[in-house]
Amino acid sequence: MTDQRRSLRVGLVCPYSFDVAGGVQNHVLGLARYLRQAGHRPYVLAPGELRPSAATLDLEDFVSVGAAVAVPYNGSVARVSFGPLSAARVRRWLRNGKFDLIHIHEPITPSISLLALWAAEQPVVATFHTATPRSRSMQLASGVLRAAIEKIDAGIAVSESARSVVVQHLGRDAVVIPNGIRFDDFARGPHLRPELAEAHPSTNSGRTAGSPMPSQQPRLIFIGRLDEPRKGLDVLLAAIPQIRAARPDLEVIVAGQGSRRLPSCCRSLGTISDETKIALLNTADVFVAPQLARESFGIVLLEAMASGVQIVASDLPSFVDVLGGPHDASRLGEVFTVGDHRALAGAVLHVLDHPSPLRAARAQQAARHYDWSSVGPAVLAVYRATLSAAPARRTGNVVG
Amino acid sequence: MSTLEVLAALIIVLVILIWRISWLASRVHRATLRTERTWSALDGALVGRAERATELVTMPGIDPATALLVLDAAAAALEPDLCRGERERAESDLSHVLDAVGPMLPASPSELTSERARASICRRLHNDAVATALSLRRRYMVRILRLARHTNEPRPFEMADGKYCTLPAGPLETDQPS
Repeated sequence: MTDQRRSLRVGLVCPYSFDVAGGVQNHVLGLARYLRQAGHRPYVLAPGELRPSAATLDLEDFVSVGAAVAVPYNGSVARVSFGPLSAARVRRWLRNGKFDLIHIHEPITPSISLLALWAAEQPVVATFHTATPRSRSMQLASGVLRAAIEKIDAGIAVSESARSVVVQHLGRDAVVIPNGIRFDDFARGPHLRPELAEAHPSTNSGRTAGSPMPSQQPRLIFIGRLDEPRKGLDVLLAAIPQIRAARPDLEVIVAGQGSRRLPSCCRSLGTISDETKIALLNTADVFVAPQLARESFGIVLLEAMASGVQIVASDLPSFVDVLGGPHDASRLGEVFTVGDHRALAGAVLHVLDHPSPLRAARAQQAARHYDWSSVGPAVLAVYRATLSAAPARRTGNVVG
Repeated sequence: MSTLEVLAALIIVLVILIWRISWLASRVHRATLRTERTWSALDGALVGRAERATELVTMPGIDPATALLVLDAAAAALEPDLCRGERERAESDLSHVLDAVGPMLPASPSELTSERARASICRRLHNDAVATALSLRRRYMVRILRLARHTNEPRPFEMADGKYCTLPAGPLETDQPS
């Protein structure tokens, strides 16, 4: 089947600016990277500028719709683009790109995703990342944006919970394909970077690859925005005194955007690069994911699993989907009740006192299934199915 | 209010009404076209799946009983002029047969596996398109103005997908559409 092998020109639309790191942004970059490796031509449209550090993408394949504006949306501050100028740029990009199909991420976001959905004449694949049960925009969408939603040819949801939101609020269906991770990068063992070593001069020695219980201070880490309540740092901080009472030598490292006052035992690395994140995960004993809500996927959780660190996570549906429930004997990490700092402390102490390399190894194996080498072909299968149901192209045929 | 003003207001209302109706009609039309296109894609995918299944028979090392079972189910699914219900049953049977013989095959048929995944995705896209079209057709305006009168009401294609995989075995692969 020659049609099945044809190289595709895919227009990827990301609603959030690449100025800051984020799950959707990383997913788009990872997908573009995979598509290129698979012999296709991905082009990315997004607000803001591409950071050179994120240059897994050829700069000429990236088009910015202009500066992003920070607005409160969906419980956090989103850096998005909107307005007539953005709309005109989106239209021009769609017209000039000669795409076989458009893949829009978070289509119901007040940013260029919605503008692209509105203007697209090509087949549209849309990925829903959010799993907010009572998302106001989703409810509004069912009325005002009905016509735009009808334009989606194929929906993808990143988890079962994200899919059920699509089914309930939009009356549409979606194929469940999880977000991808670069498994090998995270599973390749520690290699401390200077900035990390400087931050912890005392802990450099004695840490060996994959060792679940290094001889030195146990290290607990949190990765996520510090200033965003739903990331749940408050729950972790409330649990710290109880944990420190039992393990006075515990070292706590938090990494993520934003600033806030931290207790003296906690150190903040600020925004970290991918390399630092890998090094951090590989030198930690416990990874805590205390998220309170609206976490549709938790890509960092999977990256943590890939690194082989012990996991403690809140029992959000999307986390339980991945890890298994609190009473599941084969669960891949400790799960505690959302927002309960005492339960969090108990789970952390349990993991520190009874480390299970076997469980960490099982979690690592489970994370392997989310590598782009598995996730990418599934996305391509949806592209092929969408194109097999696409109308004959009106514009002239394009040779890629 | 003068007669002229009333007339102008009436005209404006009328124009808005006509614009809304034609917009709705174009949405109904687009949704209907999409059900037709997704159906032909699904039809093609199902035929491809049955053909790949037929090719299992030529697999080296396959036993004749397994071959007969697969060939029978695949031929039934490829039968021309089946009515909708018969086709749904034949395709479901083929899914069940493929699930049953899967562990007994001498090698994993990767082409068949990807065809099964394709059929499953195409079916979901088709049924999604049908649901959109039906919800538009149920609208009050569409019904009283009979905006969908030229087309038959689309129906979802209901069948068992079987243990298809869009992803290699993993925790999320258990998702089975109803």
